[in-house]
Amino acid sequence: MTGGPVGIVANPASGKDIRRLVARASVFDNQEKAAIVARAFVGAIAAGATSFRYLPDRYGIVAQAIPDAGVDADVAPVDSPDTDSALDTIRAAAQFRDLGCAVVLTLGGDGTNRAVARGWRDAPLVAISTGTNNVFPRMIEGTVAGAAAGLVASGAIALAEVARPAKLVTVTVDGERDDLALVDAVLVDERFLGARAIWDASRLRVAVLTRAEPASVGVSAIGGLLRPLGERDPGGLALDFGSGGVLVDAPIAPGLYQTVPVRRVRPLAEGEPVVVEGPGVLALDGERERVLKQGQRAILSVVPDGPRVVDVRQTLHVAACRGLFRAAPEGRDGD
Amino acid sequence: MDVDRNVLLDLHRRMVRIRVFEEEAGKLMEAARVPGALHLYVGEEAVAAGVMANLTDDDQITSTHRGHGHLVAKGGDFKRMYAELFGRATGYNKGKGGSMHVCDMEIGMLGANGIVGAGPPIAIGAAFSDRYRGTSNVAVTFFGDGASNEGGVHEAANIAALWKLPGLFVCEYNGYGEFTPPARHQAIRDVADRAAGYGMPGVVVDGMDVIAVYEATREAVARARRGDGPTLLECKTYRFYDHVGIRGMGVSYRTDDEVLQWRKRDPVALLEAHLADAQILSSDDARAVHDEVRAEALAAVAFAESSPFPEPHELLEDVYDTSLPAPDEAPR
Repeated sequence: MTGGPVGIVANPASGKDIRRLVARASVFDNQEKAAIVARAFVGAIAAGATSFRYLPDRYGIVAQAIPDAGVDADVAPVDSPDTDSALDTIRAAAQFRDLGCAVVLTLGGDGTNRAVARGWRDAPLVAISTGTNNVFPRMIEGTVAGAAAGLVASGAIALAEVARPAKLVTVTVDGERDDLALVDAVLVDERFLGARAIWDASRLRVAVLTRAEPASVGVSAIGGLLRPLGERDPGGLALDFGSGGVLVDAPIAPGLYQTVPVRRVRPLAEGEPVVVEGPGVLALDGERERVLKQGQRAILSVVPDGPRVVDVRQTLHVAACRGLFRAAPEGRDGD
Repeated sequence: MDVDRNVLLDLHRRMVRIRVFEEEAGKLMEAARVPGALHLYVGEEAVAAGVMANLTDDDQITSTHRGHGHLVAKGGDFKRMYAELFGRATGYNKGKGGSMHVCDMEIGMLGANGIVGAGPPIAIGAAFSDRYRGTSNVAVTFFGDGASNEGGVHEAANIAALWKLPGLFVCEYNGYGEFTPPARHQAIRDVADRAAGYGMPGVVVDGMDVIAVYEATREAVARARRGDGPTLLECKTYRFYDHVGIRGMGVSYRTDDEVLQWRKRDPVALLEAHLADAQILSSDDARAVHDEVRAEALAAVAFAESSPFPEPHELLEDVYDTSLPAPDEAPR
């Protein structure tokens, strides 16, 4: 059985943006993130992980967790450009790949995982949600998420048994594929990146979704309440916003419903291009990321070969079936 | 979410006014033409401009020891500001206060303050007054990452949240309390993490991006005016110069590389690039704003330097408000 180190990224910036003001999102403080990482260390080591690599951040989330968890293992930071931006995560993900990490444990939101995928497109991920309205990572206890990562990292369970590739949206601007989104790529009627989040549905123009989940929050929920599309269903969904179609009441941010006019909903085949044109701003996974000038085009396509996402529940189920956590009876060496 | 063209031009002008005022003030200090030390706001302009563009003259603010930028952005008069730095009778405090006491009650600027963390209790008193008098005004207090540990800041935040007062706590997180980085004085790295403990929303924004600051403040001020209570808005920014004066590089407590990295995100240049891209303000038009403001600043310096000093017999005037009867003279 082959394994490798566990890579760890804990985003200190997640869970603090303007949606705490314009919606009813909560602050996700960094002390709690450090506590989650500590519990994940404990879970991973209990499951057999012996080696960890992590992105050092200015807050020191992982560095604080190491002594807190009493980690006695091979733990080392990777080099960081220390820009205090998504670039740090992108670079770290590429290093995790080059170092042969078996799995990457992330704490953050859709944006954090998007940054990992930009550095390592099909990264094997255990994604813990500590962001705002997350669709990609799940709310899950750190101990259990760590255990799932540890089982994969130790080689006790093969990644292929418990992980599936997620879909993603490729973003091509000026003929160059230069970005991606894991959940949604949206053209919004804005001129600047500003406070980055989007919370005014009247400014939405076109959205391309990898998944449209009625039980989520954000642009994915708008599609989900009209035509659900699961993470494992093939293809994607495109929404054209505006009058002349239907109105849907959707939670576009935590605790914030708006009535959204949707002119057209159409399924997208794998790789089918959707062309959007500026002026406007491209928001990727809920954050304004790129200004499109007048006449500047972006091509958005849903493809199936994104990060390989570990199903934590399934991983622990397999571990239980195989008795991987059974301790040796007292007085015996084990069997 | 969109920001109006006129607002964008207003934000630009406010930032340029701060930048130019401070650069000229720094030259005056280095040349020893004004007495004492000046704490300059260069690098942090987006915070004051982005916040103040959401306020009226009836909305009040409290400032800090680094207070010139707040008064300029609130609409302060260059002549009276420079005159105060020169210690002249035409200054905001009649030449008896200096840099760390500039104030203008007419436009809601309750004062710079030499005591770290002293502003929030004053501002929240103003917010209480706004509520008590039935106005829709808000009160804004500026403080830094160092001040965030002061007792008065916590007390003000606590009572503001308890009484849902129309206040806004703006933390100007510039990475240094004088010369000490937060890692040496607090266990958290985002002051906004404390918001939940106070019982108010906490938001972190890029304090070098004036549009981000403006957008977040617009929402926080609207919330306060609605009666929904205060907000803790943390703006990540940077002090290009030293704690005092204009020296920014070659200091012992931070690296030159760090300064250079932050200078790449100069908030004035950043906005000018956005405005040029959006065809709202060309680089020539932006330069004209700088030139116009610099001419105003130089004229104000000349006015200030030629103004008289206060008379010795005025020394004890204006210490107390004598418009009200003293306690022992009050009717019983």
